Order: sequence, then structure tokens, then C-alpha cells
Amino acid sequence: MKNDNSKVQWVAPPKLGLLGKSYLMLFLHGLVTAMRHLLFHKSITLQSPDERHAIADPVHYRGVHRLNKDEQGRVKCVACFLCATACPAHCIDIVAEESPWPDREKYPKVFNIDELRCIFCGMCEQACPVEAIELTSFYDLTGASREEMIFDKEKLLSVFDQTKDREPMPSKRVISATTGVAAGGQA
Amino acid sequence: MLPIALDALIKIAVVIGGLMTAAAYLVLAERWIAAWIQDREGPNRVGVPLTKIRLFGLGQPLADGVKFIFKAEYTPGHVDKGLYFLAPVMIFASALAVFAVIPFGGLLPGNIFPASWGVSEPINLVIAPRLDVGMIYVFAMGSIAIYGVVLGGWASNNKYSFLGGLRSSAQLIAYELPMGLGILGVVLSAGSLRLDTIMQQQAQTGAWNAFVQPLGMVVFCVAAFAEATRLPFDLPEAEQELIGGYHTEYFGIKLMMYLVGEYLHMITAAFLIVILFFGGWHFWGLTGSSDTVTWTQAILRIIVLNVKVLGMIFFFMVARWSWARFRYDQLMSLAWLVMLPMGMVNIAYVAVWQEYGEQLATQAGLPPQIAMAVCGWAVLVATWFVGASMAPPAGDNRPRRTPLEPSFPMNLEIPEGAGR
Amino acid sequence: MNPSQGVLAVGTVLAAAGLWLLLPRGNERGRMLGGVLVIAALGCYGAQIPAVGDWFAKGMFHAIALVTVVGAVATISFRSPVYCAIWFGLTLSGTAGLFLLAGAEFLAISTIVVYAGAILVTFLFVLMLSEPEGYTTYDRRSWEAMIAAPTGAVLVGILTMTIAASISMAAQTDTTHASLEKSPSAAKNAIAADAVATPTVPPPTISELGAQLFTRYLISVEAAGVLLFAALVGAAALVTQGGVGRSRTAAATSSGPREGAAHAS
Repeated sequence: MKNDNSKVQWVAPPKLGLLGKSYLMLFLHGLVTAMRHLLFHKSITLQSPDERHAIADPVHYRGVHRLNKDEQGRVKCVACFLCATACPAHCIDIVAEESPWPDREKYPKVFNIDELRCIFCGMCEQACPVEAIELTSFYDLTGASREEMIFDKEKLLSVFDQTKDREPMPSKRVISATTGVAAGGQA
Repeated sequence: MLPIALDALIKIAVVIGGLMTAAAYLVLAERWIAAWIQDREGPNRVGVPLTKIRLFGLGQPLADGVKFIFKAEYTPGHVDKGLYFLAPVMIFASALAVFAVIPFGGLLPGNIFPASWGVSEPINLVIAPRLDVGMIYVFAMGSIAIYGVVLGGWASNNKYSFLGGLRSSAQLIAYELPMGLGILGVVLSAGSLRLDTIMQQQAQTGAWNAFVQPLGMVVFCVAAFAEATRLPFDLPEAEQELIGGYHTEYFGIKLMMYLVGEYLHMITAAFLIVILFFGGWHFWGLTGSSDTVTWTQAILRIIVLNVKVLGMIFFFMVARWSWARFRYDQLMSLAWLVMLPMGMVNIAYVAVWQEYGEQLATQAGLPPQIAMAVCGWAVLVATWFVGASMAPPAGDNRPRRTPLEPSFPMNLEIPEGAGR
Repeated sequence: MNPSQGVLAVGTVLAAAGLWLLLPRGNERGRMLGGVLVIAALGCYGAQIPAVGDWFAKGMFHAIALVTVVGAVATISFRSPVYCAIWFGLTLSGTAGLFLLAGAEFLAISTIVVYAGAILVTFLFVLMLSEPEGYTTYDRRSWEAMIAAPTGAVLVGILTMTIAASISMAAQTDTTHASLEKSPSAAKNAIAADAVATPTVPPPTISELGAQLFTRYLISVEAAGVLLFAALVGAAALVTQGGVGRSRTAAATSSGPREGAAHAS
């Protein structure tokens, strides 16, 4: 290492007085701090399965995915593969088929998301042109096997049914005039 | 023959049963204390199995033990098989064997065996009451425990384990010296190596050694913390740097032997500190101080001793979260440059006091114990500050590359704005 | 020569041959044969154990003695020096146990503290750091049979002579044993059994030992102290020399003391 580098800043430790060298103040300070926390402790633990985390903004939380439905109960996805392309973890697997409905060309016959591979970055949500895929505020997802954690189309649609009231789709949201935060509830 | 053997067997059963239960529940207590100090809750879920009753988490030790025992047992392929199995056994066995000479109470009066067995003397609440070299025996077993650490670290064939083993063997050997010096003062004033005699002496004078030999107490406490490898001296395992040190490669029942062995070391250290420096079973006006006891006194003595020991263990647990771990060179300089000279000063002080001070105090009309306490604290304060000014144990944070040259450039020009 | 002496002599010869084969230089088959021979020799000795006295104390004595002997054989016959050191530790523990049985508490405990606790740990430390496989010449040299065997034989001979002399002295002074007239070996056995069977309840040995050390053996204590002090000064001198040399070379090779400071900042 070059010692004459002018960018290197040399830092000297502060000189200690006799009291500082004697370790007594450190001793007392450490002990008093520990005892203060022990005697007057105020737990900040959340008793997890019994209590739930209060999610400040469920609309923007990035949890389990859902596939949105339109007013007629059909899946909104048009199988454009933009989400699968955007996904950095390659966890979205779509098989497209010709659509039975006149308003679009394709629809997803298979739509699988491997929730174990997903890194919950939300890029699929941003890539989607028809607001079909979204991340919900479900955060505690568990399963007994890897297969169980690959969510198929029906499961993703059922997540929508569970969360549509709490977290409306972007086009149904009301922006609160006072806070600027999207509030839950139907328009 | 038979009553003696039975007597010993009953004591062994009581001590081992008590110790294992105590170790299990002390783990729980330590987790609680750690959690409370860190503003958490601690284990509070495990209660009665198969029900929803939680009992504040009192079932946690049982669950932990079951988990340890039923873990899959396999041997890593790269270890030295024989030593890998031997190491935890050695540390566990030696940690248990220490309790052969550690009293867990005073005396029990009279005869609880049938009269035909011919035992009439009071029963001494220590497994090996006739061993004359109790204190040295504790040392011997403590030095055997080093094998467990060194061999475990070496046999694991893992660099973190090896570093942990090296560190701990150096640390344990270094701190055995101040520990011995701290004890010598007590042995000198009691005139015996037997722990029960040492307690008896403190009870009879009424002045605990912590009051009359505070310097010895400080030296011994620091050394006992280091010997038990508890924070702030837990360099051998140092989770943050060595991922557990010498027991990195261990799991299941073998890891449990290591952990319980460490807990036993802490309990031993607490017992020794209490017995040597805090009067053992003695408490003024409560337990009496004579050789003959009534049943009330005997039970009170057991309670007083164990309450003191629990208090000391509580101090061990709080100390864990009070001070940061020492760096390795600070640890060594604390042992060799601070604690060793202080221990020697303590011995010299006690010897001089035994020879001259007591007479002088009596001639001057002072109560000798109070005079000795005053002198002892004066010696402690003086030695501490002289030691601090000569060899700062904690303040010197400069990197030191060789022992002789100051590696930090003392004449360095500090540029403008440095240290902001 | 009566039969029991003959058996003992055969046992000694077997033990010597077995140990020779067990030394870590031959092939596996030879070492197995050596192991068998040593076991046979131990059997020969065991057959001569007199069956008198308190079975409990005698059993303790023989069990600990067996552990000690097996540990000693293993100490010299293992290939890895680390294992040798561990077996040596077992031998030391066995020795301490024998001392304890004989009532010498202080000697027993200090054997463990000094040898097993301090010296052997330091030894292990060095072995693990330097050459755990034992391929260095200074490790091999002690296994040279031509050097090791005569040294061992001389040591054992001296010890045996000393023990025999003390036993015959004890036999002359002790006239209570009727078995004395029968045969020397029986007398030896009887006295050995007697020594084992009546473990002396120790008086306060520590204070007695201290008094002896500082009155009768004061010169020896002082001489040992001077020796240790000289060793300490020598060690300190060696370390200081090494430290100065190292720091000088470090200063010459590296760019000087500021390097350390750069790490600090």
C-alpha cells in the first residue's frame, strides 16, 4: 500500500485519561445499560401467529401474487409473456392458447408461478399491460412440499377472490385527497 | 463400607440430577435474560405437550433436549474419527467430575441412616469429603477440560474449529495462573485447601474474603470468567468470527455434551467464587457459624449457598450483554500484564497482613477484620490505578504487529479534518 | 526357579518381543502379532495375581494398573504422535489413580495438573501446529528400536531393582506375616496385597507435606526453584531475541511501520 497517498486520512485514537484507562467507566456503563433494559424492559416482539403485522399500505405491499379477473369473471391475462420476460428469477411459466373470447387473441391455458423461486421484486406487476398480475399483502405463505408451492392459475385466481375487497385493482382505486395514498375499498 | 458407598451414591445422584436439571433450566433462564435485555420476549411457547397450555415456555428445555437427542447422527467425512468422539466426552466428564469436591451445602446433623449401620458423624454435603486437596483437584479437572476443546478443534479438520481450539488452549492456560494466584490468598488465610474449611473460616470470622481481599476477588472473578469462556472472554467460540469455534462441526448429542459442559463450567465458576470469596453458606445472623448444626440451620445453609450461586450465575448472564468481547491481544495482555501482577500483589498483601498487620491492628485497638477490609480496598484501588496507568487493558486500540515496536506511527502528522 | 517365577519370566520375554514388533515401523501383520504377544504377556502377569485381600480395593488396583500398562504400550506403538500423546495422557491418569489408591493425594492430583494439564497440552499444541503425521526426523528418532529398547531396558531395570530392594527391606522389618517363610515370591505377593488391601486413611497430608518440603527438603526445593527460574530467564531471552530479529526483518522487508497504521484507518 502506498503510504504517501494524499487521499488517505490518518485517524488517531483519542488519548485516554487515567479513568478511561482503568476500564471502570466502561464497566459501570455496560452493567447499568444491561440492567436498565432488564429491569424496565418493554418488549417489542410481535407474537406472530397470534398477532398479525399491521401492514401500513396493503396495496403496495409485495406478497403472494394474484391473477386479476374482469367484470365477467374471466382472467384478465392476455398471455403476452411480458411478465415472464421481465421476471429476473424466471419463476413464471405460461402456456398460451387461442382465446375463446372475441376481445383478445390469446389467453393463458397454464399460468404457473414458482413461489419459492420468486424474489418478490414486483417487476411482473409493472410489466403487465392489462393489470392482470399483481402482488398482494399475503406474506406468510407456507407449504409442505415444493410442488405445493408452485401456484397454478386456479390458485392465483382464488387469491384474487380473497383479496379483491381489501386491495382493489389499480383502475378501481380511490386516491385519498389528503394523504395521496391509495385507500382500500371499492370505488 | 456399605453406608459410605451408599452415602456417596446418594450424593452423586442428587448432584448429577440437580446439575443436569439446573443446566437445562439455566439455558432457559439465560435465553430469557438475554431476550429481556434486548427488549424481546424470550422462549414463551413450549408448555404441556399436545395441549395449548404454555406455562411461560417452561417446557423449552425438554423440547431442546429431545431435539438434540433425536437429531440424525452422522460423522462428517473429513474428521479424525477417534478424537472427534473423544473430545466432547472429555469436556463433559471433566466438567462433571469437578463436583466431587464442591460442597452444595454445609453439614447435615445427626444420623439419617439406621443406627445399625454405625454412622454417627454429621454428614458433609460434598461427594468426597475426605479429599484433602480439593482446590487442586478443581484445577486438575479444569486442565483436563482443555483437552476437549483442543482435540475437538483439531479433530474437526476445519480452520475455524482449529483457530478456536488454538485460541482457547492459549487462553485457558494463560488464565489458570491468575486464577491460582487469586486462590492462593484465600488458601493462605484459611490455612487449608479444603473448600468446606475455607467456608468455615469465613463463617467464623464473619468477614467474607470479598471484603478483606477484594483484589484477590477481582483477579479470581476475571480469571473464572475467562476459564468458563463466557463473554467478554468467549474468544474460543466467538460466533461472529469463528462460527462457534471448536464445536463448529458438532451437532446433536455431541454438541449438547459440549454446551452442557460449558454450562457446568459456569456453574463451577459461580460455586467457586461464592465459596472462596462470598462466604459460602454463611450469612450473618441466619445460618450460625459453628461446627454443629440444627436441622433449621442446615437447610438454611443449603438455601443460602444456592441462592448466592444463582445470584452469581445471574451476574454471569447479565455480564454477557454488558461488555464487548476483548480482542485477542487485549485478552493476553490482560492476563499476563495486568492480572498476573495483581495476583502477586494480592498474595504479598495477604502474607504481610497475616504476619504483621493483625498484630498491629490489635495493638492499635482496631477490630482486625475491619482494618483488613480497609487495607484490602486501599490495595485494590492503588493496584488498579497503577496497573491502568502502566498497561491499559482496554484503552489501547492501536494495531500491534510486534510486541516490541509501537506499530502505530506516534510522530505521524495528522492532516486537517482527520477523524471527522 | 519356581513355576511362578518361570511364568513371570516367560511373560517378560513375551512382552519384550511383542513391544519390539509393535513399534511403528514394521508391517501390519507383524504389529498384530506383537499385539497378541503383549496380550499373552499381560495374561502371564495376570495369572500370578495373588487372590487374597479385599476384592474391591484389589480389583480397583488391578483395573487401574491394566489401564496404565495398556496406555503405555499404546503410547509407544501408535503411528500418529497426537494419538501417542492422548494415550500418554491416559497412562498419566492411570498413574495418578494408582497414587490415589496408595493414599498419596497430593502426588496424584499434581501429576494430573502438571503433566496431563500443562505439559501434555503444550505438547499437543506443538504437535498439532507442526507435524501431526509424525514424519519429521526428531519424531522418528525416538522410535529407533536400537536406541529406545536399551534405554527402556535400563530404566525398567533400575526401577525393578529399587522396588525389589524396598520390598525386601519391608519384608525384613515386617515379621507378622506367616507366609514369609514359604517362598520369596509369595512373600512379595503377600506384602503387595497387604499394601493394596489396607489403604491408609491419610492424615492431613498437605500440611505435613508442606512442612517436610520447607524443613527437611528445603535445599531441594530451593535448587528446583533456581533451576526453574533459570529456565524462565532463558525462555524470556529466547523470545526477546526472536522478537527483535523478526521486527528488524519486518522493518527491512515492508515499507515501515506506517503500514500498520494504514490498516487501522
